[in-house]
Amino acid sequence: MEREQARPPSFNRRSLLQAMAASLALAGANGRRAEADERALPYVNAPEYVVPGKPKWYATSVRFAGYLQPVLGKSVAGRPVKLEGNDRHPATGGATDLFMQAALLGLYDPERSQVPLHLGQPATWAAFDTDVFRRTSEIDRAQGQGFRLLTGAVSSPTLLRQIADLQKRWARMRWHVAEPINEHERLEATRRVFGRPLQMLPDFSAPAAVVSLDDDFLGPGPRQAMQARAWSKRQPRLFVAEPTPSATGTRAGERLVVPSARLQMLAQAIARGVGVGEVDAPDLSPLEKKWVDASLGALGAGNGLVTVGAHYHWALHALVLLINERLGAFGTALRFTDPILAAPPDGADSLAVLVDDMKAGRVTTLLILEAEPLQATPAALDFRSALDKVAFSVHGGLYADATANACHWHVPVQHELESWSDGRAPDGTAAIVQPLIRPFLNVRSPHVVLDRWMDGNASDHDLVQASWRTGWTEALLAGFVADSAPAAVTPAVANRTVSLPEAPSSDGLVVEVRPDATLWDGRYAHNSWLQETPKPLIQATWGNVILVSPALARARGIENGDELSLRFGNRELLGAAWIMPGQEPHTLTIGLPDAFAFLDSWRQAGVRLEKTGKSRLIASTQPIQDMAEFDYVRTVESGEEAATRRKDDVSFYPQRKWDSPSWGMSIDLDRCIGCNACSVACMAENNVPVVGAELVAHGRQMHWLRIDHYTEGETDAPRHHFQPVPCMHCEQAPCEMGCPVNAAVHSPDGLNLQVYNRCIGTRTCSAYCPYKVRRFNWFEYTGHDPDSIRAMRNPDVTVRSRGVMEKCTYCIQRISGARIAAKIAGRPIHDGEVVTACQQACPTEAIVFGDITDPDSAVSERKASPRNYSLIEEANTRPRTTYLARVRK
Amino acid sequence: MREPTAAQRVFGLMAEFNRPERLIEAVRRTRQAGFERVDAHSPFPIEGLAEELGFHDQRVPWFTLLGGIVGAGLGYWMQVYTNHAFPIDIGNRPLVAPPAFMLITFELLVLGAVLFSIVSMLGFNHLPRLNHPLFDVDSFRLASTDKFFLVVLSNDPRFDLRQTRAFLHSLDPVRVDQIGQTEEPE
Amino acid sequence: MSDIAPSARDFRTVTDEIVDISLDYPDRRAWWMCFIPALLLLLSFLVSVTVLFWYGVGVWGNNIPMGWALAISNYIFFLGIGHAGTLISALLLLLVQHWRNSLNRFAEAMTLFAVICGALYPLVHLGRPWLFYWMAPYPNTMTVWPQFKSPLTWDFFAVLTYLIVSILFWYIGIVPDLASARDRATRRRYQVFFGLFALGWRGSARHWARWRQSYRLTAAIAVPLVVSVHSEISMLLAAGPIAGWNSTVFPPYFVAGAAFSGFAVVSMIAVVLRHALGLRNLVTSRHLDLLAKLTLLCGMMTAYGYWAETFDTLYGNDPQELETMRDRLVGVYAWSYWGAVFLNFVPLQLLWWHRVRVNPALLFLIGLSCVIGMWMERYMLLVTTLYRDWLVSSWQRYHPSIWDWSLFAGMLGVFFTLFLLFVRFLPVISAFEIKEAMFEEKQERKETGRA
Repeated sequence: MEREQARPPSFNRRSLLQAMAASLALAGANGRRAEADERALPYVNAPEYVVPGKPKWYATSVRFAGYLQPVLGKSVAGRPVKLEGNDRHPATGGATDLFMQAALLGLYDPERSQVPLHLGQPATWAAFDTDVFRRTSEIDRAQGQGFRLLTGAVSSPTLLRQIADLQKRWARMRWHVAEPINEHERLEATRRVFGRPLQMLPDFSAPAAVVSLDDDFLGPGPRQAMQARAWSKRQPRLFVAEPTPSATGTRAGERLVVPSARLQMLAQAIARGVGVGEVDAPDLSPLEKKWVDASLGALGAGNGLVTVGAHYHWALHALVLLINERLGAFGTALRFTDPILAAPPDGADSLAVLVDDMKAGRVTTLLILEAEPLQATPAALDFRSALDKVAFSVHGGLYADATANACHWHVPVQHELESWSDGRAPDGTAAIVQPLIRPFLNVRSPHVVLDRWMDGNASDHDLVQASWRTGWTEALLAGFVADSAPAAVTPAVANRTVSLPEAPSSDGLVVEVRPDATLWDGRYAHNSWLQETPKPLIQATWGNVILVSPALARARGIENGDELSLRFGNRELLGAAWIMPGQEPHTLTIGLPDAFAFLDSWRQAGVRLEKTGKSRLIASTQPIQDMAEFDYVRTVESGEEAATRRKDDVSFYPQRKWDSPSWGMSIDLDRCIGCNACSVACMAENNVPVVGAELVAHGRQMHWLRIDHYTEGETDAPRHHFQPVPCMHCEQAPCEMGCPVNAAVHSPDGLNLQVYNRCIGTRTCSAYCPYKVRRFNWFEYTGHDPDSIRAMRNPDVTVRSRGVMEKCTYCIQRISGARIAAKIAGRPIHDGEVVTACQQACPTEAIVFGDITDPDSAVSERKASPRNYSLIEEANTRPRTTYLARVRK
Repeated sequence: MREPTAAQRVFGLMAEFNRPERLIEAVRRTRQAGFERVDAHSPFPIEGLAEELGFHDQRVPWFTLLGGIVGAGLGYWMQVYTNHAFPIDIGNRPLVAPPAFMLITFELLVLGAVLFSIVSMLGFNHLPRLNHPLFDVDSFRLASTDKFFLVVLSNDPRFDLRQTRAFLHSLDPVRVDQIGQTEEPE
Repeated sequence: MSDIAPSARDFRTVTDEIVDISLDYPDRRAWWMCFIPALLLLLSFLVSVTVLFWYGVGVWGNNIPMGWALAISNYIFFLGIGHAGTLISALLLLLVQHWRNSLNRFAEAMTLFAVICGALYPLVHLGRPWLFYWMAPYPNTMTVWPQFKSPLTWDFFAVLTYLIVSILFWYIGIVPDLASARDRATRRRYQVFFGLFALGWRGSARHWARWRQSYRLTAAIAVPLVVSVHSEISMLLAAGPIAGWNSTVFPPYFVAGAAFSGFAVVSMIAVVLRHALGLRNLVTSRHLDLLAKLTLLCGMMTAYGYWAETFDTLYGNDPQELETMRDRLVGVYAWSYWGAVFLNFVPLQLLWWHRVRVNPALLFLIGLSCVIGMWMERYMLLVTTLYRDWLVSSWQRYHPSIWDWSLFAGMLGVFFTLFLLFVRFLPVISAFEIKEAMFEEKQERKETGRA
């Protein structure tokens, strides 16, 4: 009931008409009904009938790298229009990440595969079923010999049950997993140390100090929302050693720039420092020694945790496990459970074994379900030519791309938001995925594809329900299965001898490979929201760059945008150079989907670098990131030091008294990890259009909320800052004064409004805006959108046409919703009742929104902090959005 | 040129001069002779000529002033009125902001003054009009080039065709022409 | 001043030389050779505006932060040029400078056409140009009015007023000469055309008297109008809280710059017209000398504006202002700053020499240099200020697109087409005022002779 109040209906004639038009268009275009699956249960209270314009909320999950990310899906007139974090979920508590926010677009993506393809030609499901039936009789004869199933990482009990059924029927079939970014080394370390593989679950809300050896635990990934939320609760002292800047590194009190080969020396030094026996004393440089001493000092104060990046050698993880044991972190800051993702028979070598078998002709039938081995495996593995040796190959996925084209059959599968499934969140809590909409394309659930393969005839609903005989309704209502996480175990150390391998070679230039901050391993390359989201530390969109250090750039005369050629062996990678302050001098960093074509490891020394002499366009939203002498992001020595430099409150204009409510926002810059969840949430909530690489490069991106990235101080080891910049909603707004037609005006509740249908597009408001948060519709960005994109739009937010200015509204539709609900109930709006999309999305609760005239509201409490300051306060615009300065620690 | 006949009604008599000084002199003498309804035509404005003809009309400057006052008043009132008619908070500026309103007030002052000035000038001159009895006299063509004309209108109390013609000849003009009556003289 | 009006000639030859150009154009071949390129440029205008309206402002190079760029800098540029015509005509009329009579007509026409070009720019630069009339206060069902605290609304009123006043001032000034053309026209269509537009003017002494009252009062009001209009245009920039714009030096600086560029253009037109139409008797080297002096004077005032702005910045020591100054002096667009400084003020110094001032070719080249320099200044003021404003994160580069340039070329086409039609069909010099000046000087000579 409470939730219903929190999200009251915001219903008017226009939103109804829009919704009806869009859903009619959708239904007409596809000849199928687009409405909710009536067997799905809306969150909290089940309606007897649909109230048009009144959104329904369903607790469900979206999948990312095998894990489920818990969400609450908002559905209007049967169309999912927004995903929020599930605030009751034990792992995330409502935190989200950008991939979770962008999953909505995945559902409506007009590029999604819509029909089965046979040898690249459109075909029917019936033809596919016939072909499969013929094939399965052969498999029957061979008892599964030569039949292989390839999936991504799996946590779904239903899928695992189906795989077990497959193996029951065909004893000689084999299941393989392709998941390029994985935790194999960590599992191997626990296997060596404890005697069995265990999942490491660090709890960043527990320790007082964290030492990260290139572990980007706040960076993108399936655990980001969970770990960032935990980290933000306490914000432990953070020591990071890394070769290339990461989100975690930007939050570090002490950040050490080292080549990755040095990390094991640092680990050894820490191990010696905390008293792990029999560790060699490494040679450390003075800087390294200083960092290690500082880290040891913090760890020695008790309640510490050391972590290592997932891709480092298991021996390093093992050594760090021993350190953590000495630190007493087991069971508190570092918990262990049984592995959450199911391990395929060949473990970490699963994919390599498959490729070997394929090359040797031992594979006759290959079913690839929701994996993209052609795009997302190293080219060195040569999956492509191995695939040619398979007699019958089937690909089931959302998109008909490279892997699909290389297989005999491609069949389109359902998106999570339109199908029944299940799985586990990164903490192991199980959840049932329920659809928010009936499939509007001719697609099947992966469960159904597998079921048909075994001559079954069940629906995805029945298949999933079969896994959950009890607690089905409760799980659907809550969005997770209560207490289903695997129990924590306290393992005993079985093996204390750790022999670190030889320090890896550091000859010449070293290339480090990192997941792409917005595309992960490339699986989100179709998602235009994510493509257009700037990579936080680079601010490049639509493609990645090669990071070079300022020192190397100086030595080689490299400038941003120069085309670089990286050579290793007979492979070459071309890419645009980006000079990254804080990059280790001899380290280059490349992003994942690009790196697959070039390397088959996470790190490679001895790479040759040349400038080709050409230059490439980088679609950057922020070409210059050096904060220079300015103080946009302020740092105070302690939380008590005042950040503002304003001495008095003088103005030419009358002091206005604001009635309650009067809205304001506070953004804590210490908490912001630059994850962009807010930015993508804003795009989804406010129907923000995507404009493409060319226009972004031209300075015409449309993001209402941008995350500025600044570096401060010396370029070799600067401090990195993130600064989310929405509209400041200035009380003395220059934009309003500039507008000749009253399109930019102030509302009584303190909002700076932009009246789209009054705007004639003089762009004065933008010229006068000191923050340049206003976005202009240079072309008709929305009118030509495909029907499916129109169906996705939030019906409560006007879609802007060509020639008008737009900007952040503080989610005025949510404010109106709350106001209407409060009026109906005859009460004031409660603090926390209006939650902006960005605030709701933020994993670290950096953004707080509310009534600033209420001294007890959360936002007033934040603004009362000495750290509170306004951006460009010398312009005297009196922004309602203020910041909390960073604290040097 | 049509020869005037005695039967024709007459609009006036017109004497043509070669030089402006002659015209000024002629106007002075005509006025001294007691003629009231006299006009002079020249290709360019001649300082003092109108005053010789008894012109002391200051209505155009007064109208200009009036236009300025009306324009400025309307301009300021418009800004005050519209801001009260639909009060909107604009960047916390006062609803009525005299410094910001002065510019448009001034522009409308100028616009009002100029419009009133020019419209009243044309109005008092009874312009525009497409034709006039004077245009029937061929030689009047040169009034806009280099000839100067003195006209005694037929509604002058002392007008007498023969005597006035003789008087005009006494001014030593190039020629004297009779203007046909196509309308009553003003 | 006696050599200003060509006293050796009589009234008739003045009319012959001026009015007959309209009735029987002397060198039609040359005119067509100018008019056809002008029409081609006009075509470029039509194509550019069609493309612009069809696709949106995105066809230009603008972005955020460069929401205003070439269109607005050209707007300021064209309006600035226009002001010289009014100043020559109105200010010198009030100061009883007879020599203005040879220049005021075409200078005013230039004003008119420049204001038309200038006013078109903000119109087409709108995101939704078909709604431009929302700037005007008209009663409407939404009961929404313009926002009168916006410098854009001030501009709307200022430019509209200026356009109307310029048209009226120019028109009542040309009516007596239209009457002259009417009276001399032999061909029917000229008679009808001039007959209609001459309003039945017949040179009555009473008419002249009222005409004079009105004309002089209009002139007296037009002078402060010019100052107010360009001050308001400077407010378009100065009212925004953007370093590099937000300065009180802007209004006088803009007015001086406007007059400067305008006098340069008038000098150029004077040189060309006296050559092309054989008007050396009417536009004498004395005129060129005076125009050059005015240009020099306004140029030096503009230079003072540059100096004052720099001094202000250094004295104020505001980091944002200093940053903007650095961007101007050594930034990516420093060429526009130094181009403006060099082209505006270096060749200008030659005008200290009398021999240069009376040399038509040199005067033309120096005028051209000043016009290009002032164009660069407008460009510099827009671009160097906006491309790097308050936040480093919003810094972006700006490159005008092909459609920016084609519209600029097209706007020159609008200007040249209108101006060539004016030259072809209307009296380019005020014949009656020259005659008046000849007469008055003769009177003065007589009086001094008598004395």
